[in-house]
Amino acid sequence: MSLDQVREKILGISDQTLKYAKDLNIPSTEVFVYNLSSTNLTDNKGKVDSRDGLSLGVGVRAAIGKQIGFASTTGFDEESLKSTLSLAHSIAKTSPENPMFQGFVAETKTSKEGILDLEIPHLDAKDMIEHCNLMGQGFDNSDTRLISVSYEVNISWGGYALGTSEGCLASSLITTYGASSFVVVTEAGDRKTAADFVLGREIKPVEGLTANAMKHGLESLGSKAFGGSEVLPTVWKSREAAPFLTFPFVSVLSGSGYVEKRNPWKDKLGEKVCVDEFTLIDEGQNPEYEACRSIDTEGTPKQTTTAIENGVLKTFVFDKMHGEAAELQSTGNATRGMGFGGGIPFESLPTVGPNQVLVKNVGKNLDEQIAEIDKGILITGTPIGLFTANPVTGDFSITTNDAFLIEKGEIVNPLKSISIAGNNYKTLKNIVTIGSDREASGWPLDAPSMTFKGHTISD
Amino acid sequence: MSQSDFILDLLHKSVDQGEKLGVDFIEARYDDLQLTTIALINDIVKQSSAFQRKGIGVMAYFNGTPGYSYTPELNLEGVKNATKRAIKLAKSTDERNVMKLDFESIPAVKEKIVLDVKKHPKNFEFSEKLDMLKRGVSSMKEVLEPTSTTGMYGEMYGEKFLVNSEGTEIYWAPVMVDIRMGSVFISDGQQATSFSGHGASKGLEFFNEKETTPEQTGSDAGKYCKEQIDAVAAPTGKQTTLVSPQMGGVVVHESFGHLSEADFVVTGQSPIADRVGEQLGSEHVTLIDEGVTPYGGLYLPYDDQGVKTGRTVLVEKGILKGYLHNRGTAQKMNAELTGNSRAINFMFNPIVRMKNTYFEKGDLSMEEALEQVGNGVYAVDMSGGQVGLDGNFMFNCSRGYLIENGQITKPLKNHALSGNILELLKYVQGATKDITIRTGYFGGCGKGGQGGLAVGFGGPNVIMDQVLVGGA
Repeated sequence: MSLDQVREKILGISDQTLKYAKDLNIPSTEVFVYNLSSTNLTDNKGKVDSRDGLSLGVGVRAAIGKQIGFASTTGFDEESLKSTLSLAHSIAKTSPENPMFQGFVAETKTSKEGILDLEIPHLDAKDMIEHCNLMGQGFDNSDTRLISVSYEVNISWGGYALGTSEGCLASSLITTYGASSFVVVTEAGDRKTAADFVLGREIKPVEGLTANAMKHGLESLGSKAFGGSEVLPTVWKSREAAPFLTFPFVSVLSGSGYVEKRNPWKDKLGEKVCVDEFTLIDEGQNPEYEACRSIDTEGTPKQTTTAIENGVLKTFVFDKMHGEAAELQSTGNATRGMGFGGGIPFESLPTVGPNQVLVKNVGKNLDEQIAEIDKGILITGTPIGLFTANPVTGDFSITTNDAFLIEKGEIVNPLKSISIAGNNYKTLKNIVTIGSDREASGWPLDAPSMTFKGHTISD
Repeated sequence: MSQSDFILDLLHKSVDQGEKLGVDFIEARYDDLQLTTIALINDIVKQSSAFQRKGIGVMAYFNGTPGYSYTPELNLEGVKNATKRAIKLAKSTDERNVMKLDFESIPAVKEKIVLDVKKHPKNFEFSEKLDMLKRGVSSMKEVLEPTSTTGMYGEMYGEKFLVNSEGTEIYWAPVMVDIRMGSVFISDGQQATSFSGHGASKGLEFFNEKETTPEQTGSDAGKYCKEQIDAVAAPTGKQTTLVSPQMGGVVVHESFGHLSEADFVVTGQSPIADRVGEQLGSEHVTLIDEGVTPYGGLYLPYDDQGVKTGRTVLVEKGILKGYLHNRGTAQKMNAELTGNSRAINFMFNPIVRMKNTYFEKGDLSMEEALEQVGNGVYAVDMSGGQVGLDGNFMFNCSRGYLIENGQITKPLKNHALSGNILELLKYVQGATKDITIRTGYFGGCGKGGQGGLAVGFGGPNVIMDQVLVGGA
C-alpha cells in the first residue's frame, strides 16, 4: 500500500467511525486512527533476527459535556470500532467531570509535513542486510580485542488521522529510517562498549558506522582511575549533551506540570533561568525531524515554539486542554505514546510532550572547547543515572565509564568509571560554552557539544 | 463456530501454511487483552481508558533462522499474509545468519489454564474501581495535606492462545490488578514526594487483603511523604546497606538478571558469558528466576514458546549456575529449558526475558539483620534507575532510613545508590528469612523495544556492604 493509499484509508476510517458515533448518539467524539508498517532487522554477532508487521488501531475519546471516556482497539473492523465507541461512551457516562476540558479541536487546520522518503516502503530484508554490509565497510573484524559486533536497521512508514465530531478531519504521514552498529571490546581486563548510528526520516549513508564504533571503543581501552574527588569543568560531545539536558528541560517545559503546579519552574516565567547565550526551541516544523507533522495528535497544527530565549523562560508547551486551562492556546504539543518512553499511540490519551527540543548552536566546536580546558573531563558516552536526578531540587549524581581526562587542552587518557555530581538547575547557569555542532541524537532534545563548570568528579 | 474455535482454526491454518512452505518450525500466537487505566490526579479523573489489544503473531524458523510477523487483522487473509511474511523474512536472512539457534522437538502440550479469581475485574463497574482510588486518596489526606495527589488503577485480563508445529495448543487467561498512590508536598521551600502501591496476578479480592487495601496504600503514601518533609541527608560514600525486598529485587533484576539472559550471553555482550561455575558472589548469594513462586508475584505458567516455566537457579551460594534461555539458546548452550521466551504482545517476537527474579532467603530475623548492619542505610523503595551491560547500576532511593547502632532511626532524603553488581555480590553479608515478591500492571521491564512487560521481583531484606550512596 502506498503512502497516498494509507492517507486515504486512515481518513476514511476516521470519517466512518465518526458516522458510527453519530448513529450511537454520542454527543461529542474524537477519533485517532493509526496505521504504521515497520520492519526491524538485527545481527548480533551473526545471530540474525527480523520482524515486520502492521500496527493498526483506533483510539476514541467520547465526551458528554466535561465527562470524558477513552477506549481503543487494534484493527479497523466495524464491530470493534462500534464496540470501542460504545465503551468510551459508557466510561464517559460514569466519569466525573473534568473541569479543565473545553472540547475537541473544532476545525481542520494544518501546517507543514516533514520529509517523506518514498523508497522506504519498498525496502525489504535483503536491502536491510545490504545496509548492514555497508555499515561494516572498512571494519577489521579480526582484531582480537573485539568480543562482539552488532548491526541494526529499522524502517517504518504510515501515518495517523484525526477526526472530531466538531469538524476536524486531518492526517499526517511519516517515513523513518535508523541504522546502528555496536561493539564490545576488551583488553587486559578493561571492557568497553561503543556505538555509532544514523536516524531520520529518509535513508541515510551508513558506510563506516561499525568502524567508527570500533575506533571509539579501542580509544576507550587502557582506562585509568581518576583518583580522588575534584570540582572540574566537563565537556560533553553533542550526542551526550543531549541526554544530559533532556532530563532537566523536557519536564520543566511541560504546560501540564505548570497547570497542575508540579512544574518546579511554575513561577519562573520571564525570569532568567540559564546563561545569556542559551536559547531553547521546541521544534515541530523542521522537516528533517520525526516530530515535524502537519497536526499534533489531537488535530492542532504543529509549530515552532521558543521556550527559552537568551536565557529567559518565555513559555511552556501545551496541548489544547492545558493551554486553555492556563488561559493560553495549544502549542501543538499533544503527543500519544510516541517517541521517548512512549507506548502504543492509539492506546494513549493525548498528553503534553515535547516535539524536538533544540539547543541553538552558538560558537566553538568540540576541539576548540577541549583546547580551552586546563584540567577537565570529556564525556563521550551516555552516563548511567540521568533518570535519578531529583526533579524538584535538581540534584543529580551519575556515573560513566565513557570519559577522558583533559589536561592543558589535550586528551590525556580514558578513565575508569567516574561519578559526576551536581545540580541540574545550577548547571544551566554554569554553562561555559555552547558549541556549534549539534547532531541528531535520538533523544527528545538535541544539543551541540557543551562545556559546563562546577561538577564534582570522583571515582 | 465460537470465537475461540475461530481463532484456533486461524492459528492452525497458519501452522499448516508454514509446514507446506517448508519451514522447520512455526508457531502462531493470539492475544486478546483488555487493559484499563484510571488516573485520579488532584481529585480530577485525568484518564479513564480501556484498551483492547488483539492480534496474531507468527514465528517461523527456516534452517535455524527466525522470522516474525504479526497482524491485527483477524481473518484468513490477514493471517495468511503474516505467515507468508514471517517465512519470507526467515528465508531472506538465512544466508547472513551464521549463528543458528535451531532446536529439537519437545513433546506437545495441550493445556488450558484459567486462574481462580474470586472478583474478576471484568465483572465490576468503572465507578467501583474509581471509588477505590477515592478511598485511597482520602486516607492519604488524613495523614497530611499534600500539594498534589495521584491515584492510579490498572487492570489487565484476557486470553492467549499458542499453537505450534509440534502439536502444542495452550490456552491461558491472565489477569492482573494494581493500585498506586502518590503525593507531592511543597511548602516554604520544603519538598517531598512519595509513592506506594501493590499489584498482583489476582482479581479485585487482592484489595481486600489487609496490607493492600486502597486505604492502607493511600495512608502509606501519605506517611512516606510526611516522613520526607523532615528527612535528613543520607550519609554519603560506601555504606553498609540493608536493601528491602523491592529494592533488592529491582537491583538484581536490572543489573544482574539482564546479564544472565542467554541472548546476551551467546552474542558475547554479557560480562558473565562463559563463567558458569565461577564464584561471582559471597556464600549468601542465591538468585532464582521462577514462573510460579510460592511467594506470589507474577503468575506465569508458560512462556511464549510454549515451554513450561520452572525454577531456575542462576547463582547458588555465590557460584554462577546458569542462564535464562529460550529454546534456541538452551540447545546451543546444552542447557535445560527455563521458559524465559516472552513477548509483550502479539506485535513482538518472543525474546529472552525474566519471570520472577529474587534473592533466596537467609536465616536472619529483621532485628538480627539491623544489628549486623550496625550503622548504615535501610534502602526501601526506588523511583527510577539505570543500568549498563557491564553491571554498573544507579538507582534513586526514594524511601530510605538511617540505621544507627542497629536501629532504624530517621527517614532519609532521596539519595542515589550505585555500584557494579558483579562487585557488589561479593559483599553480600546475609539476608532475612522472609520473602516478598512484587509485580504489577504499572512499570515493568523493558528490552528490545518491548517496554512494560510484567515481571516479578523481590526477595528478603539483604545486607550489602560497599554500596555507594550519593545525594541525588
